[in-house]
Amino acid sequence: MLKNALIDRRTCLKGAGASLALPLLETMGWADTIAGKASKPPVRLGFMYMPHGVIMDQFWPTSPETFLSSLPPALESLRPVLDRCLMMKGISGVPISPFNGAPHALELSTWLTATLPDAPTRHRVNIAISADQIAANYIGALTSLPSLELATMPQTHKENQEGLHEAYYSHCSFRSPTQTVPAEINPRSVLKRLFGQSDKPGRSTEVDPLDRQMLDRVIGGARDLRKTLPQGDQHKLDEYLDSVRAVERRIAAIEYRQKEAALEKAGVRASRRHESDSPPIEIKIPEGDKRSEYMQVMCDLNVLAFQTDTTRISTYIGSTPNGVSYPELGFSDQHHSQTHHNNEAEKVRKVAAITKFNIDQFAYMVKRMADLREGDGTLLDHCLMMWGSGLEDGNKHARENLPFIIAGGGGGAVNTGRFLTGVSGNQGDLLTTLLDCIGVPLDRPIGLATKQITAMKA
Amino acid sequence: MIHFAIRRQGREIRLRRGPAVSVLGAGVWFLSSVLGLTETDLDDEAFAALQAETKKGFSEQVTPFVKNYCSDCHGNKKRKGGVDLIAALKRPGQARYLKHWKLAVSNVKDFDMPPDDEEKLPTDEERRQFEDWIGKIKYLSPKDPGPFVLRRLTKVEYGNTLRDLYGVDPSVAEDLPDEVFGAGYLNTLSPLQSELYLGIANAVLDQILAPMGKPPTAVQKRLFEEPPGKGEDPREAARKVARRLARDAYRRPPTDEEVEVLVGVYDLARENELGYPEALRLLFKAVLVSPQFLFITPAEEIDSEQEIVPLDDYQMASRLSYLIWSTVPDAALYELAAAGTLHQPEVLKAQVKRLLMDPRSRALFDGFGAQWLGLGDLESKTFDEAKYPLMTAEMRAAMVEEARLFFEDIVRKNESVVRFVDSDHTFLNGTLAGLYGLDGSITGPEMRRVKLEDPNRGGILGMPAVLATTSFPNRTSPVKRGVWVLEQVLGEHVPPPPANVPPLEKQDQKEVAGLTLRERTELHVTNATCANCHKVLDPIGFGLENFDAIGRWREVDDSGGAIDASGELPSGERFASPRDLKAIVAGREEAVARNLVERFLAYALCRPLQGYDEIVVDQLMEAIAKNDYRMQTLVIEVVASYPFTQRRVR
Repeated sequence: MLKNALIDRRTCLKGAGASLALPLLETMGWADTIAGKASKPPVRLGFMYMPHGVIMDQFWPTSPETFLSSLPPALESLRPVLDRCLMMKGISGVPISPFNGAPHALELSTWLTATLPDAPTRHRVNIAISADQIAANYIGALTSLPSLELATMPQTHKENQEGLHEAYYSHCSFRSPTQTVPAEINPRSVLKRLFGQSDKPGRSTEVDPLDRQMLDRVIGGARDLRKTLPQGDQHKLDEYLDSVRAVERRIAAIEYRQKEAALEKAGVRASRRHESDSPPIEIKIPEGDKRSEYMQVMCDLNVLAFQTDTTRISTYIGSTPNGVSYPELGFSDQHHSQTHHNNEAEKVRKVAAITKFNIDQFAYMVKRMADLREGDGTLLDHCLMMWGSGLEDGNKHARENLPFIIAGGGGGAVNTGRFLTGVSGNQGDLLTTLLDCIGVPLDRPIGLATKQITAMKA
Repeated sequence: MIHFAIRRQGREIRLRRGPAVSVLGAGVWFLSSVLGLTETDLDDEAFAALQAETKKGFSEQVTPFVKNYCSDCHGNKKRKGGVDLIAALKRPGQARYLKHWKLAVSNVKDFDMPPDDEEKLPTDEERRQFEDWIGKIKYLSPKDPGPFVLRRLTKVEYGNTLRDLYGVDPSVAEDLPDEVFGAGYLNTLSPLQSELYLGIANAVLDQILAPMGKPPTAVQKRLFEEPPGKGEDPREAARKVARRLARDAYRRPPTDEEVEVLVGVYDLARENELGYPEALRLLFKAVLVSPQFLFITPAEEIDSEQEIVPLDDYQMASRLSYLIWSTVPDAALYELAAAGTLHQPEVLKAQVKRLLMDPRSRALFDGFGAQWLGLGDLESKTFDEAKYPLMTAEMRAAMVEEARLFFEDIVRKNESVVRFVDSDHTFLNGTLAGLYGLDGSITGPEMRRVKLEDPNRGGILGMPAVLATTSFPNRTSPVKRGVWVLEQVLGEHVPPPPANVPPLEKQDQKEVAGLTLRERTELHVTNATCANCHKVLDPIGFGLENFDAIGRWREVDDSGGAIDASGELPSGERFASPRDLKAIVAGREEAVARNLVERFLAYALCRPLQGYDEIVVDQLMEAIAKNDYRMQTLVIEVVASYPFTQRRVR
């Protein structure tokens, strides 16, 4: 084992109960740094979602002055990292007319696009590339996985509001206006595909050195087929061929890291992390079906993916707007049915409990990041994590002051420990600012953005 | 009719060209294939006449109506409510304006538009005529089979295909993301998932091929045959294997170019000093990750100038097999495709029947039936455990199984679609019999056919799977059940509740205490905004209130008050029990059948219906009605329909 080996392989494997070659874990350096220099860790961007809004007087801090001292109940679990959080009131959502009958179909799909679906083609997916995917296009090439998409529930909801395609209900990431990026819900699959760990015997996870060239020939052959197809079909085929190319690229990244590992074994020190950096966290896949444990392992996977620089962009749809219950909280009512509470005390209590539950999981994730040393600070210092909802108040479907929590310093780009009131801006402005903070150059604003929220910057 | 043939690659594509018809000035020649199974297939001349008449009517009737009463707010740059009728008038038949017309008609019909305070208001007669004309708008759609977009196999289809071709367990594909169904598929992959197909291909190879140096497995022998003997050219042998593997996997004969790509992969392996069996392994892997395997692709290039051509027989075999079996065509279908006879009406019809009678047609329930009935989430749906301890995993599975056996019985026995609503038998096991109050007589885990004595049961309205799906975790929902019956059974469109639901349930807890759910729900109707829809929805749901949230019969509801299952529909029909409601719904056989035809056609085409499809549905309905709305007829007619058998290539 290398003296400065960055990962204790056994810890990583405990959860998976198997031991196989781990190509990606051989070394864990920054792919884009200059050899020999301990450079600044990269900045990562993550999103986590909860539908249906919050109970406002239990969510918003009372005033900017008392932000650090007197916390609203929903935020209690963030107390230890509050100085690294930023909250802002005054960010409005996308007005959803002419889709007034589809408040829930649009809360998630407008969240990272700040755009409405195209009305005439509403029965298909036709919206806009989402902020996370814009970032992935720019930053993703530097890591083996351009972006990571996770969800708690399957994205198969079938309700069809205002004639909108079903996918709008449960997707937030769009690779292009017409292509959703599906999220993974099985932590075992994530572990396997992120880190090449398999928990099923007999499955090859090793890369065949000839696969890249084989795929190259398959793509070449598909060109003949492509020519024979009508234009619409060509696009469909291209989607697949693009994903095959992504595999080629991923194999190349794995090979690159394997080469690096070999060099390091031979005593040539390549890329670098500080020797004081924390070892990669351990992943334990829970056995039962407790929602909190499940969400926490998804959060852990997100942390591990960031920590090992496997990806720098993530989205986690913590919950979706369709028939979700929280038996763990002691009641079986569905989230949505309680949000139309009309200030009935019992329902308000339940919505508040659900909100707090979701924020607790987010807090779990960012606190883990805050506990991991990286470079001259912590992992959280180099991340921008945003938790939020696509509605302000589920009772009235209001979207004037969307609830957001931003955690992490974004590598020094964001001035945290503050609650800003009277911020005047929209969801697009916020997303545009976030991308600017992590260094993504934008040639056009995101969705309905008109400006950046400069007040949040350091 | 002029018959001619295009001969290519030794196969004929037969086409029948109709008289020259210029539609909407596009100067397009429309084709319809010899595949005119339905006697009612609208011939091109009749269609052209209808179009001309409709166009004339539009300029004489609809244009003045719009200009007189609508265009101040809905046209000339004003688009109140998103409706622009002036733009719609320019291209009235275009699919994108259909929604505008439908909104206009429903508002004009209900006297909601023009607003009462307008100076000019149409007469009742004018309103009626407007409605009539908009009903004919479908005739302005050009005859078109609609977009035929190449589709990747779904997760289920892909797993089944691997099973049927290579004998592996379909769970090998379980990591693929679930499809987002609905009207049309959406299958995309995330970066994390992009290498799944390569991973699955590796897993398949590991399962069916012997490790290096070990004697070949039986499947391997079948797929790779004997290795080349002395003096034989191994490259030639590999080419033969490539052709055979590709033929199975691509579901059609591969082109020479496609075979050469695979031979190139073989060469790559040999150049890297792999032995013959390992080189074939890499070649096989290339087959499994090829788009030709993952997509259903046409057998041949269309080099005619036609915009619309019939599917080739191989494509037809795949389309049919994936529709009914969710798997690859079997040898019999493949042979008919190879012989070029599958498209012949009698052959096609016989094949549909054969496929339906085969056990593999359970895929039709898993793919279509369960989706139609909305049962997809039942097994994972949360129920209040304290209140409904009976909702165990076994119970949920038995509920879905009952629905499946019931659905399959109607299909296999070729019964009328009305039987879905009104039947005197069902399928039960010991677990499920408890819900029916028949637990004494039926025991054990085995599902069996049971004759029902209780006329409130029998049919999907009184079926536990449906009743549970349309309930909340802790109580029934008359509203959800009402919407379900209207939308899933009768095919009506129920508009969503307004964006900001007014505080109806300010229901003071003290005030509503002791009221039955029905009495509480009826408060909807005291609010004018809600009343319009709820006076239609709620009574249907009330008619099913005797069934609790998991489908048990009850005489009192949770409040202890007696159930009142009586009601009246806007049409004036009255009912006093689930049994009466069932009879009323079963009496609307045309609506029930039309709803199923529309849903099944959309499912078969993998896209939402639009434009010309409406005319197709009319024709299908005519043919199906002649045969008492029988289920097999419905499937046969959809398979033989114009949009299923044709594709637009330009």
